[in-house]
Amino acid sequence: MLSWQKKFAAYLELEMAELPGYFRYCLNTGKLVLLGILVSGGVVLQILACALYNNWWPMLTAITYVLLPMPLLFLVGSGRSSLFSESDSSWVNATKFLTGASAVGSIAIPAILKHSGVIGWGAFAMELSSFFVFVFAILCYIRINDEDDYSSL
Amino acid sequence: MDLLELWAIFGPGVAGAVFGAGWWIWLDAVVCSLVTVPFLHYLPGIFASFAALMFNCVRKEDIDYSPYDEGEWRLKLWLFIAYVVSFVSLAGSAGLLIQDSLDKSAPSVWTGVAGVLQCVFVLISGLVYWTSHPE
Repeated sequence: MLSWQKKFAAYLELEMAELPGYFRYCLNTGKLVLLGILVSGGVVLQILACALYNNWWPMLTAITYVLLPMPLLFLVGSGRSSLFSESDSSWVNATKFLTGASAVGSIAIPAILKHSGVIGWGAFAMELSSFFVFVFAILCYIRINDEDDYSSL
Repeated sequence: MDLLELWAIFGPGVAGAVFGAGWWIWLDAVVCSLVTVPFLHYLPGIFASFAALMFNCVRKEDIDYSPYDEGEWRLKLWLFIAYVVSFVSLAGSAGLLIQDSLDKSAPSVWTGVAGVLQCVFVLISGLVYWTSHPE
């Protein structure tokens, strides 16, 4: 019994090591489809929060969604290591500061609109759901960019 | 990866989030206030932000702790003025809170509370940024 399990494990290991390159490329394409579904879900929640109640004040949050990646695009290169590593550069620290401030704005604008009575609880919940779906998509995007694309083909 | 490295990585982002939270709390108080908030009530938040900017302009390696030399007295004077500005802004916001709670025609108590919270959050963000960047 034990030798049979060892043989089966060795067989599985050989099969996984010789997985074809195009199959792994299809897996990466599936991850991109997941990213597209997440971003589309966030956009749909954002528009539903405005259109269901015919109240377009929550569209102010879209301004902070545009502002959120701007410091990362302008001041920091496209590498992951500059964002999730300790840095001596003042520009990278200022970038992180501005990103944190913009992220709080995405939560604060629906909260202020709810507190002042402009929107109700339903629109507020959709706004927060939209924000967290976008943040999850960004984290998945950062995670996908970690992988090496040259090992796929 | 220990806790200090995590603090150095995510500390500036946390500082930005706390800073944004402070100013958004104040904006909530201004928007939801039934009475027009005079400009005097804006000053503690502005001075707290200025104080947080002041003591984050200093490079840590320039601070001299030697008991023998004269040291960088201009740097220490700058830090002292930054501390005085932050303390005066916090005291001013507390004074405006007391005024808002006593006077009927003034803005509501939430405006005073939001002013104190704004100063506290802005100064905390300055401290977070100071303790997180390693230079």
